Amino acid sequence: MDQLFGHGAQPFGRQLSRPGAGKLPVTVITGFLGAGKSTLIKALLESPEGAGTALIVNEFGEVGIDDALLRESSERTMLLGNGCLCCLSGTDLQMTLRDLFAERMRGAIPDFRRVIIETSGLADPSPILQTLATDRTLDLHYALEGLVTVVDAATALATAGHADEWAKQVALADRIVLTKTDLAAPEERDALRARLAELAPLAPVEEAKAGVVDPAFVLGEADGLREAARRSAFLCETPASAPTHRQPYKTFVITIDRPLPWTVFAHAFDTLASLRGPDLLRVKGFVNVAGRQGPVVVHFVQHLAHQPEELKAWPGEDRTTRLVFITRNLTRERVEALLSAVLAMADDAPEEGAGAGGPEAGS
Amino acid sequence: MNKAVKPVGSQEMAWNFKLIAHHELGGFGGMGEGMSIQLTKDGRRIMWMAHENAPKNFTGVDVSDLKNPRLVVQTELPELYLRSNSLEIVGDIMAVAYQTKQPGQKGAGFELFDISVPENPRSLSFVDCSGPYSRGVHQLWFVDGEYIHMSAGAPDFQPRNQLDDQIYRIFDVRDPTNPKEAGRWWLPGTREGDAEPPPVRHEAKADFGFRAHNTNVYPQRPDRAYIGYIDAGAIVLDISDKANPKMVSRWDNSPPYFGFTHTLLPLFDRNLYIVTDECVLDDMADWPKLVWVLDARNEGNPVPISTLPAPPVDVFGRRGGRFGAHNVHENIPLPTSWVSDLVIVGTFFNAGVRAYDISDPYQPREIGYYVPAAPALAPKGTIQLNDVFVDERGIVYTMDRHTGGLYILEMEF
Repeated sequence: MDQLFGHGAQPFGRQLSRPGAGKLPVTVITGFLGAGKSTLIKALLESPEGAGTALIVNEFGEVGIDDALLRESSERTMLLGNGCLCCLSGTDLQMTLRDLFAERMRGAIPDFRRVIIETSGLADPSPILQTLATDRTLDLHYALEGLVTVVDAATALATAGHADEWAKQVALADRIVLTKTDLAAPEERDALRARLAELAPLAPVEEAKAGVVDPAFVLGEADGLREAARRSAFLCETPASAPTHRQPYKTFVITIDRPLPWTVFAHAFDTLASLRGPDLLRVKGFVNVAGRQGPVVVHFVQHLAHQPEELKAWPGEDRTTRLVFITRNLTRERVEALLSAVLAMADDAPEEGAGAGGPEAGS
Repeated sequence: MNKAVKPVGSQEMAWNFKLIAHHELGGFGGMGEGMSIQLTKDGRRIMWMAHENAPKNFTGVDVSDLKNPRLVVQTELPELYLRSNSLEIVGDIMAVAYQTKQPGQKGAGFELFDISVPENPRSLSFVDCSGPYSRGVHQLWFVDGEYIHMSAGAPDFQPRNQLDDQIYRIFDVRDPTNPKEAGRWWLPGTREGDAEPPPVRHEAKADFGFRAHNTNVYPQRPDRAYIGYIDAGAIVLDISDKANPKMVSRWDNSPPYFGFTHTLLPLFDRNLYIVTDECVLDDMADWPKLVWVLDARNEGNPVPISTLPAPPVDVFGRRGGRFGAHNVHENIPLPTSWVSDLVIVGTFFNAGVRAYDISDPYQPREIGYYVPAAPALAPKGTIQLNDVFVDERGIVYTMDRHTGGLYILEMEF
C-alpha cells in the first residue's frame, strides 16, 4: 500500500522548490489604527505586482476602495480592477478563506493568485496565524507567506508605552514597514529603529515614501528577500543586541548540527508545545531530517503546527537545522535544555540511536 | 485604480507557471501531438514539433536561449490531405508520422530523417503504410533508437469497421535506412476474419473506433507496451515476443464515459497508471474527459482510485472549442526529458496546461495552471492547448492546436 504513495515522497509528500510552493500565498498585514495599512494596500492593489490579489478586510470602508468598486459579485465580495477582489471577513476568517478558494475553483471570482488579510487596528494577529495552521483544509490550499507590520514612526513610541498588542504585532513580524517617517524627528526615528530591532531583530525594515513601499517588499517577493531566504533560510542571524526594555517577547535562533530522526524532533516539539504552547508565538525554520535529501520546513504557531514540507534541496552548503523562535516569557536556555534532554534520551535508545544531536547556540 | 475591466476569459490565467516566451511559428501555429528535443553536436537545443495539419509537416525551433526562441526549419507536406501530427527523436534521428484524411490515399506511413544538421533534415527512409483501408500512422513512440511503436494502418489489414483501422505496430529501425516490421496487435474481433465477435460499438456520437493511440514502451519494462486504445480503454500488452504480443490487462471506463482513451502512462516505482481520455468534441458534447489514476499493484486488474480535479466547468465549459483532458507529459526515457512520478503535467485544450500533485494518489491536487489568452485568429475564440513536453530542467513547452504555436513556461512549484 505504501508503495502507491511513492517512497520518495514519504512522509512529507512531494519535495517542493520553495516553502509553500503549490499553495496560495497569504500575506497578513497588521498595524495600529492610522498606521497607514490602507494606503499601503491601496497602492499595492493598483500596482502591476499586486495584480490578482484577493484582499480580506473587516470593513470595505477601511481600505478606501469605495470609489473603485466596479461590480458586486456577492454580498461579501467586491471585484476591483487589476484582477483584484476584496472580501469582507466579518468574524469568520476560516469560512471566508474556504469560500474564496471554492469560488475561485468554480470560476465565480477571478483566479486570484495571492491573499492579503488586513487585520483591524487593535487586533492581535496570532489568531489569524492560528487559523491557517488549525484548519487542515486551509493548510492544503494556502500557505502563510508572511506577516507584515506597519508602524507609524510619528506615534509608535507613544503607542508602545501602553499597548501590549503593539509589541506583539512587531515581535511577530516577518517584515516591517515604517510610515510617516517625515513626521518624526531624527532622534525619535533612531529610537524607534532601536526598539524595533530589539522586538523583531530578524525582520527587515523598509521606510515608506508617501505611504508607499515597493510592492515586492510587502508581498515577500523582493529579490533581496528571496535571495536572503535562499541563502540563510528565514534570515537566521543571531539578534545583535541584548534587550534593554522589560518586555516579554524574545527572538532567538537554535541550531542543531547533526541530522535528526523525524520522530525525535516531533516528540521534542510535542513536549515543548504541551508545556509552553501559549508562549511559543512562532517557531519556523529548516530541519535536517535523517534520511531526507532536502530540508524539512517547519512552522509552529503556539501549540499548532503547519504540515511540514520537504524542499528539493538545501539552499546552500550548510545542512544545519536552524529554528527561529519568537516567544513570550520563554528563554532560549529553557528551550535548549528541553531539546538537549529529548535528543540525549533518543541518543541513548538503541533503536533511535543514529543521528540525534544536541542543540547548540546559534553562531 | 484601473476601471476598465476586461471580460473574464480574454486575459491569460496563470498560477505557478510563468511564461518565458511565445513563438507563433511563422503564422503556422496549428500544432499536433509530437514534441521532442534534440541536443545538437554543436551545442544547440532544438524543439521539434509536428503540425496538426497541412501544409506544414514539422518545425524546428532553437530554444537554446529560452527567452528568444528562433525558428530554424519548417517543412511542407507533399499533399494537403496528409498530416504529420506525431514525431520523436533519438540522437540525430527523427521519426515522423503521416496520416491521410481518407483510407486508400497514398503517402500514409512514417519517415526517418537524419537531423544532424537541423537546418537541413535529410530523409533516410519512408515506410509506406497506405492501403485500401489504411489512413497510415497517427502516432509513434521512438525512444531507444531500435524500435518504433505506433498506431498505424497497414496495406494488408482489413478492419471489420473502418474506424478500427489503426492497430498497434512495431518496426525494427536498427538500420534506419531499412525499417522492418517486427510485430503487430489489434483488438481481437476488429479484423475481418477474426474468430472473436466484433466489439460492441459505442453510441453513434461517441463511436471513435477500437484502435490504438499512444503506444508507450519504457526501459523499466521492455516487455510491456502501454496503450491508449481509444474506445477499447487502456490496454497493457506483453511484448516479450514482439512478433506475438499478448494482452495482460484491459481497463475500460466506457460506457458510461465516452471512450477515446489516449495515453496510459505507467509510474513504475509507485505501481500507478495515469490514463487520459481525449476530449474530441467541442462545447462539452463528450464531457467529462478526465485523467484517471489507477492502482496497478495487481497487473492483471488495474483499479481506478481517483481522477485529477478537472478544470472548472463554469469557467471553460462554454468558452468555445474543446474542454477536457488530452495529453500528459509522458516521462520520456531520454536525457532531454523531465521525469516525475509525483507531479503530472497535462493539457486540457481551452483550460490550458495544468499541473497536479499526486503524492497522495487518492487525493490529487491542482498546483498550477497556465491558460494563454485566445491567440490571434483562433477559430474557436479560445486557446486549445494540444500537447506538452517538459525538458530535463523542468522547462515546460506546450502548443496550440490551431494558431497559437509554442509557449515556453517555467514551473514555480
